[in-house]
Amino acid sequence: MMNIPCPFCGPRNEAEFAFGGPVKPHRPDPNAVSEVEWTQYITTVPNPLGPVEERWWHVKGCGTWLTIWRDTRTHDIVEGPGDAG
Amino acid sequence: MTYDAKIDRLPIFALFDLKGPQEALSKWAKDTPAFPKGPNKLTHKASATLCHIGPRRWLLRDDLENEATWSASLNPEEAPADISIVRVSDTQTFFRITGPDASEVMSIGCTLDLHPAVFADDAVSYTEFFGCKALVLRCEHGFDCAVEQSFGNMIKDFLNRATA
Ligand SMILES: [Zn+2]
Repeated sequence: MMNIPCPFCGPRNEAEFAFGGPVKPHRPDPNAVSEVEWTQYITTVPNPLGPVEERWWHVKGCGTWLTIWRDTRTHDIVEGPGDAG
Repeated sequence: MTYDAKIDRLPIFALFDLKGPQEALSKWAKDTPAFPKGPNKLTHKASATLCHIGPRRWLLRDDLENEATWSASLNPEEAPADISIVRVSDTQTFFRITGPDASEVMSIGCTLDLHPAVFADDAVSYTEFFGCKALVLRCEHGFDCAVEQSFGNMIKDFLNRATA
């Protein structure tokens, strides 16, 4: 069971949240990238072995949407590459 | 085993859902209890309770007999465009769980830490209660717990089984 930090409520049980999926990479300009790159963006869901950036919705709590980094090997909530400092 | 706790299904409360910037709301809604100092905190004034339940979101609860007075005072129809006030009295069913084992009964359906050191008299929160989204706050000798009204009978059944 994960304890997910909500910016409004503090750490809460994962049962109070709905999973909002991984954060997708920035949408490229379809005219500026190759068809392969565009298809990759459309069809490939981030699914790394390790830290992944995800959206969660505190649906049974305060209603806040939040973003965390979760390590897919351990379910630990970890610091993302941009979180240092 | 059985629990020494009393379960009551409470009559409908007057409830108003208040949304918007706190400054604008407190300027408009002058008769409410003072706005709570932090997230998931509540304040009282006479029989009314103001709960800070989400970012830019509060719930005002009072006895049903005061609903018309609040409607007149909050005057939702005339409220400024940056705030929203909606009467939601009939959307929530409240249960009152009281007695020496009230917190034991709560812990069956609720994952929130309700120890007084963490969840004090001025605490309130939406959380999970027997799988439903529920508002939880303290009352004298126990807890009040509100769920969306269509889940009322189901929660009553869960509570009956839990305390049978
Ligand atoms: Zn929250």
